[in-house]
Amino acid sequence: MRVITKGKIALAAAATAAALVLTGCGGSAGSSTGGDSSATSGELNLIAYSGVWQDQYTAAVIEPFKAKYPNIKINYSSKRSSAEMLSALQGQKNNPATDVAIMDNSVSTTGNTQGLFDKIDAAAVPNLANVPEQFKNKGGFGPVVMLDAVGLLYDTATFPKAPESWDVLWDPAYAGKINVNAPPSLLGLSLTAITSKMEGEDYTQSIDKAVARLKEMAPGVQTFAPNPDEYQNVITGQTVLGLGQNARGQFYSDQSNKKMGVTFPKEGTVYQINTVNIVKDAPNKAAAQTFVDYALSAEAQTAFAKALFYAPSVTNADLPADVKDRVVPTDGSLNIVPLDVEFLSSARDKWTDTWKRQIITK
Amino acid sequence: MTVTQTEAPAARRAGAAEGELEKSTGRRNRRTYLALLIPGVLGLVVSFVFPLAYMVRMSFNKGAPDGVIEETFTLDTYIQPLTDPYYWRVTLDTFQMGVTVGLLCVLVSYPVALFLARSTSKYRGLLIAVAIAPLLTSAVVRTYGWMVILGTNGLVNSTLNEMGLIDTPLKLTNNMTGVTIGLVEIFMPYAILAMISGFGRLSPQLEEAAGSLGASKLQVFTRVTLPLSLPGILTAFLLVFVLSISTFITPRLLGGGSVQVLATEIYDQTTGLLNWPFAAALSVILLVLFGLIIAVYQRLTKKIGG
Repeated sequence: MRVITKGKIALAAAATAAALVLTGCGGSAGSSTGGDSSATSGELNLIAYSGVWQDQYTAAVIEPFKAKYPNIKINYSSKRSSAEMLSALQGQKNNPATDVAIMDNSVSTTGNTQGLFDKIDAAAVPNLANVPEQFKNKGGFGPVVMLDAVGLLYDTATFPKAPESWDVLWDPAYAGKINVNAPPSLLGLSLTAITSKMEGEDYTQSIDKAVARLKEMAPGVQTFAPNPDEYQNVITGQTVLGLGQNARGQFYSDQSNKKMGVTFPKEGTVYQINTVNIVKDAPNKAAAQTFVDYALSAEAQTAFAKALFYAPSVTNADLPADVKDRVVPTDGSLNIVPLDVEFLSSARDKWTDTWKRQIITK
Repeated sequence: MTVTQTEAPAARRAGAAEGELEKSTGRRNRRTYLALLIPGVLGLVVSFVFPLAYMVRMSFNKGAPDGVIEETFTLDTYIQPLTDPYYWRVTLDTFQMGVTVGLLCVLVSYPVALFLARSTSKYRGLLIAVAIAPLLTSAVVRTYGWMVILGTNGLVNSTLNEMGLIDTPLKLTNNMTGVTIGLVEIFMPYAILAMISGFGRLSPQLEEAAGSLGASKLQVFTRVTLPLSLPGILTAFLLVFVLSISTFITPRLLGGGSVQVLATEIYDQTTGLLNWPFAAALSVILLVLFGLIIAVYQRLTKKIGG
C-alpha cells in the first residue's frame, strides 16, 4: 500500500504541475500608476517586440527619448510577436495598463476594430504631419512607424551571388537545408501569398495552386519553426536558405561578418509594416502622445534605420547612402505583393490550418 | 452493594465526562487540523481551482478568427476537434509519444534506479543526488543541448561522418525521433526518483533466498526482482507519460514545427491565432485524457498491489 500512496502523491503532484502549466495562459499586465496630466513627466508603459529589436530600439530611440524627457519613466514590456501583444491588450481591455503598442499592422488593424486603440490627436502629435498619407491610418488610428519586407536569407559561402528567384527554395540541390517559418508566422503567410502570385492565382479567391507548389517544397524543408531563430540557423550552417525579415537579416549579416546575406527575389515580396498605437483609456495618455511624437521624429526614425535597417515612415528622415541601400525601398521601386491586412486577419486561421494539414510533412 | 450502587453512577459519570472530554478534544483537534489546512487549500483554490474553472468556462465561449471572444455557451469548440480527423491524429500522436517516451524512459532508468535502491555504498546519497542533478537545469537549456548534439552538423552526425559510417547526415531533429530522445533524457530523473520510492518491498534478502534455493540469476530477476519492482515501474511510467503528453517546450523546439501534439496545438491556438476558447477546449480534452489514464493506473495498481 505504501507504494501506491507514494505513487498517488507523485501523480497528484505531476497532474497539478501539468494543469498549472496548461492553465497559465493569462496575459501579463504591467503596473498601472495612474495618469499624469503633464506630457513631460510621469510614466509610460510600452509594449513592443523582444530580442534584438528591443535592444536596438532601446539604444536608438528610448535612451535618447529618456535623455530628452528625463522625467518620463518608460516600462518596456516585451513580447515575441504582435499576436502576443494583442492578447495582452485584450486581457487588459477593461483596465488598461499599457499606453503605447508598436506592432504589426495586420494585428493593429484587428486592435482598431476591437476598440483597443485610440485615434491619434494630430494637434498633440505634430510629427504626424511628416507621415505621408499612404502611411496614415484611414480611420485616424496609429500610423505606420517603420517598414520592412520579407527577404530570402542565404548562406554566402553556398551562394557567392544572391539567388534571384524564390524558385531556389524548390531546387533539389538544397533539399534538407532550408528553413521556412510556417504560419501563423507572417513569413509563412507571406510566402503563401508570393507563391500564389508566382502561380498566377488570386490568393483572395483560392490558394490551391500555391498549396500544391508548397507541398513540393515541404519535404526539402528542414524545419518549419527554426530555433533559436531563422537567422542563426543560416549563420551556423544548419541551413543554407531561409525566410527572414530584411531588417534583422541585414543586422545579423553584419553581426556574422557577412556569413549570411538577405535579398529580395524578383517575383516580389511582402511588406512587413509596424504601426505605433495609443491604447484606448491609456493611464498615461499625455506621455503616450509625447512618445508617439518622438517615435515619428526624423531623429528617432533615422537612428533606428541605422541601428536595425527598418525603413522610416516619415518624409523628413535623411538616411546615409549605405543605410538607404539596405532598408526596404518605399518609393515604389521594389516589386511588392500586396497582402491586404483586413483579408489576412480572416485568412490567418485558414492558411495556418492548410499548412498544418496539407503542407507540413512529418 | 451500596458501594457498587454509589460507585456505579459515579463511574458512569466519570466515564461520560471522559467521553465528552475526548469528544471535545477530538472536535478541537479536528478544528485545528481544518485550520491548518486553510492556507494550503486557499492557495490551491486561487492558483489551481479558479484558473481551471476559468479555462473550462472559456472552452464554451466562441472564438472569432481575430481574437475576439464572444461570451456564450456553445459546444462547437468541442464538436470541431471531436469530429475532425486531424485532431484525432494529433491526439493519437500525443498519446503515442507519451507511451513511447514512458516505455523508453522506464527501460533506461530501471537499471540506474535498481542500482541506487540496492546500493549500500556510503556514497549512495551522493549518487542519488547526481542522478537527479539534471533537474537543476531547465528543460529549455537541456533541449537546446540536444539540438546541438542531434543537429545536422551536431556531435552525433559529425562523429558518424568522421568515422565514415554515413555520407548524408541522419535526420535526428525536427521530427518525432529528436523529440523522443530529448524527452527520454529530460524525464529520466523523474523516472529514477519514482522507481526508487516505488521499490519499497524489494528486499535483497528475498533475492538471496531465491538464489540459495537454486534459482538462476535470470530466474531471480524475472520471478522475484521484476514482480516486486512492478509498482515502482508503473508509477514511473505513468509519471513520465503524463509529463510527456503535457510538455510543450521540447516538442516545440526539437520538433521544428513538424511535430504536432496537443500541447503545441494549444500554444498555437492561444498565442498565434488567439482562439482561446478552442485552446481551452483542447486543454480540457487533454485533462480528460489524463483522467482516463489515471483511472486505468489505479485499476492496475490495485491488481498488482492488492
